[in-house]
Amino acid sequence: MRALVIDDSRAMRRIVGTILTGFGYEVREAGDGRQALDVLQEGSAEGWVPDLCCIDWNMPVMDGLQFVMATRANPAFRQVTLMMVTTESETSQIVKALAAGAHEYLIKPFTADALRDKLALLGLLPEEVSA
Amino acid sequence: MTVTEAQPISALLDPGTVQSIADEVWPSLVGDGEAFVPVPVPPSAELVSAWVDIIGPWTGSVVLTCAPATAEALTESVLMTRPPTVVDDEDVADALGELANVLGGNIKSVLPGESRLGLPQIGSAPSRGRLDDVCALVGQWRGNYLTITVQGAAPAPHAERNEVPQL
Amino acid sequence: MTLTATSFDWVRQLVHRESAIVLQPGKEYLVEARLLPMAQQRGCAGVSELVESVRNRPDPASTRRIVEALTTNETSWFRDGDPFTALTGTVLPQLLAARRPDERLQIWSAACSSGQEAYTVAMLLSDALPNAATRVSITATDLSREMVERTRAGRFSQLEVNRGLPATMLVRHFTRAGNEWEIAPALRRMITASECNLAAPLPRLGPFDVVYLRNVLIYFDLCTKQAILNRVRQIMRPDGWLFLGAAETTLGVDDNWERVVLGRGSAYRPRKGA
Repeated sequence: MRALVIDDSRAMRRIVGTILTGFGYEVREAGDGRQALDVLQEGSAEGWVPDLCCIDWNMPVMDGLQFVMATRANPAFRQVTLMMVTTESETSQIVKALAAGAHEYLIKPFTADALRDKLALLGLLPEEVSA
Repeated sequence: MTVTEAQPISALLDPGTVQSIADEVWPSLVGDGEAFVPVPVPPSAELVSAWVDIIGPWTGSVVLTCAPATAEALTESVLMTRPPTVVDDEDVADALGELANVLGGNIKSVLPGESRLGLPQIGSAPSRGRLDDVCALVGQWRGNYLTITVQGAAPAPHAERNEVPQL
Repeated sequence: MTLTATSFDWVRQLVHRESAIVLQPGKEYLVEARLLPMAQQRGCAGVSELVESVRNRPDPASTRRIVEALTTNETSWFRDGDPFTALTGTVLPQLLAARRPDERLQIWSAACSSGQEAYTVAMLLSDALPNAATRVSITATDLSREMVERTRAGRFSQLEVNRGLPATMLVRHFTRAGNEWEIAPALRRMITASECNLAAPLPRLGPFDVVYLRNVLIYFDLCTKQAILNRVRQIMRPDGWLFLGAAETTLGVDDNWERVVLGRGSAYRPRKGA
């Protein structure tokens, strides 16, 4: 399984990346939405397409919502699951993200168990981890 | 034309709510079992702060303040580094900034109306505004001085004055 | 730090035995923090006194509370998935066909804790049935008064709603209340919460069409497990459905049940003629 972790905070990229690696994921990173689109394009050229993107909302250059819209508009990435991972937690914002095409939404602060539960919901948790 | 004055933070937010937010943020970001404990200890001589601005019906900052050594220890915990790995200034700015970011984001969503969150900054804490526009939690982490302050913005340099008409 | 080394050790072994979770040395402060509320509720001077009193006279309820305090941060919504997808996919259609239109379906969350299981059922049913509020009643019981009150309140922290609750359900069935999330009043009204000790004769409840008895039998010895399953069966409809925890079974415990495979999990139904 492959994941792309998109957050302007190195600390958060490391935290999410470590949890996902622990679940058996191969993880790539990006610091904003534009970088993430570049990673997707380059990856796609070499046959690397993520199963999952964990996306922060507030980032410089291109924010998470814009990344979600750009990715959903691209048929090449139709199979990629998009999950927001953000402090933005007002109902209107969650609705906005889901309407823009995000599949799931994880509110910061979160625990490793919470991330695991969301992956289980999405069918993205490798079987051996389920215990 | 009436000018409605923004309410001070003391009318919008109580320390208990900030504490319960910290109670969720610490185990999640700093590590399981870690806690910000609201029992004051003497402050250190040298302090460093990380903060995020909130811009909306209420405007101000959510500021995390501690000693530089505490900031380093927090960073090591957040980044899960082990000796001999050491954390540098960039790591500290990042980890402390993210703590301020998550605290700020959660506090923002408790405030009325729609607000925007600024990107994290680190350095000397921004100046405070009105005395009643402060919600401060003074406490500790692992016995070290640490404060979480939600403070209104300092007045702009060219504040409007109410002119009393001369008769 | 009031926790003695022997107390910590006993807790460590208990938790490992009951949950396979390992508490490393150095986590004494965690035990202290998590058990302090329970110690205070019992009027103990500190956590060590609480631990010693339970250690000298262990009872299932106390050991369960201690284990839960140290292993459960927040219980999940839709825990293990299948027992809930099976509800709307298989169980509900069969029950609706078998019951009269004016008969309310009765569902029991028999170890409801803070209410996630009961409200998971409420959300699912309100999405599946247009008139769920009149068609279904959900009874939620727990040994702990604190948990019963939490279930009644239907308020959950940010950390709690992160645990396995689909975002679409969060926005549709909850509203923010400060830093917490509150379940919709219509769903809260579907649930009646009360205290109940499964290991003792039951109060007047049921008869139930569906029972969720998940991850609570593990805390009891074989004899008590059998007694509980027997009591539960007595207040179930003969064509009712019982859901146990993912790793639990009636096999080897009580042969008055028939196992039915549902998805990757199973349900148990009273054996005909039992």
